[in-house]
Amino acid sequence: MSSSPQAFNEVLPEGLEGHEPTSLWRDAFDRLKANKLAVFGFIIVVVLLLVAILGPFITPYDFLSQDLSQRNQSSSAAHLLGTDDLGRDVLSRVIYGARTATIVAFSVTAVSLLIGVSLGAIAGYSGGRVDSAIVWIIDLTMSIPILLLAVVINVSLKTPVTYWMDDMYLKTHNPIYRETIWVDFALVFGALALIMWPPYARLIRGQILSIRNENYVLAARALGFSNRRILFRHILPNGLGPVIVLASAGLGQAMILESAFSFLGIGVRPPIPSWGNMISDGLRVWRNYPHLLAAPAVVLGIITVAFSFLGDGLNDALNPKGWR
Amino acid sequence: MKLLLDVMDLKIRFRVRKGHIYAVNGVSFQVHKEETLGIVGESGCGKSVTMLSLLDLLPHSAEIESGTILFKGNDLRKLKSRELQKIRGAEIGMIFQDPMTSLNPVLNIGTQISEPLIYHKGMSKKDAFVRSGELMEMVRIPDGKSRIEDYPYQLSGGMRQRVLIAMAIACNPDLIIADEPTTALDVTIQSQIIALVKDLKKKLGTSIIWITHDLGVIAGLADRVAVIYAGYIVEQAKVDDIYDNPRHPYTLGLIKAVPSVKDSGDRRLETIGGVPPDLTIRPDYCPFLPRCSYAFDRCRLENPPLSKTLENVETEHYFACWFDVRKGKPR
Amino acid sequence: MKRDPNATLIKVRSLTKHFPVRLGAYGQHKATVYALDDVSFNIFRGETLGLVGESGCGKTTVGLSILQLHRPSRGEVWYEEIDLTKLKEADLRPLRQKLQIVFQDPYSTLNPRMTVGAAIAEPMSVHRRCEKQQIQERVERLMDDTGLPMRYGNRYPHEFSGGQRQRICIARALACDPEFIVCDEPVSALDVSIQAQISNLLKDLQEKYNLTYLFIAHDLAVVKYISSRIAVMYLGKLAELAPRDMLFEHPLHPYTQALLSAVPVPNPKEERSRQQALLEGDVPSSISPPKGCRFHPRCPLAFEPCSDAVPDWREVDNNHWIACHAVK
Repeated sequence: MSSSPQAFNEVLPEGLEGHEPTSLWRDAFDRLKANKLAVFGFIIVVVLLLVAILGPFITPYDFLSQDLSQRNQSSSAAHLLGTDDLGRDVLSRVIYGARTATIVAFSVTAVSLLIGVSLGAIAGYSGGRVDSAIVWIIDLTMSIPILLLAVVINVSLKTPVTYWMDDMYLKTHNPIYRETIWVDFALVFGALALIMWPPYARLIRGQILSIRNENYVLAARALGFSNRRILFRHILPNGLGPVIVLASAGLGQAMILESAFSFLGIGVRPPIPSWGNMISDGLRVWRNYPHLLAAPAVVLGIITVAFSFLGDGLNDALNPKGWR
Repeated sequence: MKLLLDVMDLKIRFRVRKGHIYAVNGVSFQVHKEETLGIVGESGCGKSVTMLSLLDLLPHSAEIESGTILFKGNDLRKLKSRELQKIRGAEIGMIFQDPMTSLNPVLNIGTQISEPLIYHKGMSKKDAFVRSGELMEMVRIPDGKSRIEDYPYQLSGGMRQRVLIAMAIACNPDLIIADEPTTALDVTIQSQIIALVKDLKKKLGTSIIWITHDLGVIAGLADRVAVIYAGYIVEQAKVDDIYDNPRHPYTLGLIKAVPSVKDSGDRRLETIGGVPPDLTIRPDYCPFLPRCSYAFDRCRLENPPLSKTLENVETEHYFACWFDVRKGKPR
Repeated sequence: MKRDPNATLIKVRSLTKHFPVRLGAYGQHKATVYALDDVSFNIFRGETLGLVGESGCGKTTVGLSILQLHRPSRGEVWYEEIDLTKLKEADLRPLRQKLQIVFQDPYSTLNPRMTVGAAIAEPMSVHRRCEKQQIQERVERLMDDTGLPMRYGNRYPHEFSGGQRQRICIARALACDPEFIVCDEPVSALDVSIQAQISNLLKDLQEKYNLTYLFIAHDLAVVKYISSRIAVMYLGKLAELAPRDMLFEHPLHPYTQALLSAVPVPNPKEERSRQQALLEGDVPSSISPPKGCRFHPRCPLAFEPCSDAVPDWREVDNNHWIACHAVK
């Protein structure tokens, strides 16, 4: 017998010969690239990120510096988006608002992903009582009305924590305690993360439950692989697609919620700029100075739409029908 | 014999992300009255697509590029969808591969068999139910008449396929298109269904197009056989000629590659090398070329048409090959 | 063909598998699927034991239960001197190198995010069979053995056709030098022209590496082509087991006879003239299998004892086993 079992003129299906090997990730990326709306969304999101990171270096003015002689100016060469009622540069404040929104959205999403994916993975892979318990926690958390929770946290925690920090600063003079603004961030963010992890947990649990029955997982067991290896090498990578889609939608959602909280005065408070509190301020004077409302509102709108396009594009790219 | 269906130069392609899939590439065939035409081919060869196109049942991504479909002299492609509905189910019946999903799970069987009778024949609901019971007996469902109130989940796969056959023959169609109706069934059930269809055909005189990948199934059923490869009919002849005297290298390879229970079992299976054809192009050479062991220069230059050879003009044996596998030299 | 009846590699004794299921729209009815009942047979070193039966007869369950991918409800599976049913999953893992499986559907048995080379190499690195450098060499040899061109090692499963994917699965199963491979309908999802390629490949590899196969299939012709002995299953029980030629030429069990006569032959003249012994009725559900001999409601030979007593699994002739009251 020859080393090769039979004479082969076997080749890949002709269309593929000459193409580079394409992994499913690569394939998804190609599909994403072909989707114009998704690319638009992606570019906006990248611009947002750059603006947020580079914030202090690109703002024409300090976001706090007031120039009372230049109050409520409309658009000009000096102030592209005009100034507000304290003579602060609106463009600079919108850019700092992007920073606020980005910090909150990304940390919220990161923490919810961490909690959600680990709890969901544990639930899906171990099954039985552990699964039931985690599913119960998920259901319980999802039944909490988010706005109410934010108000309750705000009312019951913000004041005592702020007082406590002032106290500590007076006693120790440790600069950690001076910036009480972080309390705002921590509380908004805490409420959001608490609410936003369950969908990830649910999703990844469902993914694992279905992928666990895939034949390649049975094949991996038959090859004598350990449970850990099967989970991390064979199940999770195949279940991540929808999680990525959900996370991108979640980022957008977190930004909107941050703005909503700040708008209602239970999130980030002035003087720290957030699109939410800027809209809230602008709303009071919109008849006379519409630019104060328009600037943050339009930016928020664009970002929301961008995340939605990106999410749709990712969904089409990562979960196409009939992947064979 | 009277001509019932005459399909000429049918070309169908599908839109996909990177261009087109050329599923059917100029297929022509005829079905006469009271004849069974077997269509043999592997998955993706275009055999099902061809049949779906006859009744305008193709998915949206498909596009009929050209071709005429004459059924009893009318071009089905020129009919309005309402006129075609009158033909579907009434004059042309269809039986699909998967009896598990081809029945509506929330309607009882009597209702489902009655539907075409009420719609096409204008029967009253009561008459249609009575007729359904008779049809159930005809397809040999035990206690058929008393089971018309059953729901699909109460029936086994073989019984469901019988119900689908009953639905297909309900309006006494002139033609039944059966798309791999026994592939999902076990062999003992398959032989029951085949026997049933043969019997019904004798009784009703219906023409049948039977699509399959199984050369064994078609051997005892068909009068004529067409072999499809990559969307081309590569050989077409009377059933005995196909098996005794295959002229296309693909047919030859297929027959040799299929083991039979009658073989000794000791022979080595002869294989057709290579992989299934690439359908993203419509080649100007022979579509079987990449896998053909008889290929010579001409096969690279021209796609052979489906034609008869001089010596078998009267036998209606067509094949699309530049090589004469019997003589071992080019035609 | 090497067939030494003394060299038993796998010994299956009274293998039984019952699954609990819930029926009804809300899962309100509990029931048991009697997938496998009291199945015993030996598999000899170097042979191919064909296992045929219709869908739902439990043939796949036999394969999975032997490999302990399903834990049997009762019974023993001896691999050489070890009873696999007594081992914990962790103790089974090293043994899995020697006991492999090739599944029916090559589309779903490969991780879509791993390259072909990585998939074939993975078992070797997990079981620490050899050094990194050697793994690469071995991957190349396995690909060559299974007829996969080397340059495709960095490609992904979705780029291949069904037959090629089955080759990849076979190469991966061979990675750790197995002795025994369960082939669970390895060709039935493939096109006719590709089936022959894979059947031939399995036969060649068996010769080259002295493999032992349990070849599960519903296609009698394929089984005949590849097996040395053949077992016929009906509704969770073995009906007949005999050397290939004996089974095809002198089938004793009425079910085997019906099965053989039901297979269509690719020969028009034979098909037209043939009188089929049509088997009446359907296969009963394995949730409520008939009492006594499970075949008796459809059996042309059934008589009194068949409906009460389960027929013994007995050796009627040298190496010819059968479970039937009617056959003496």
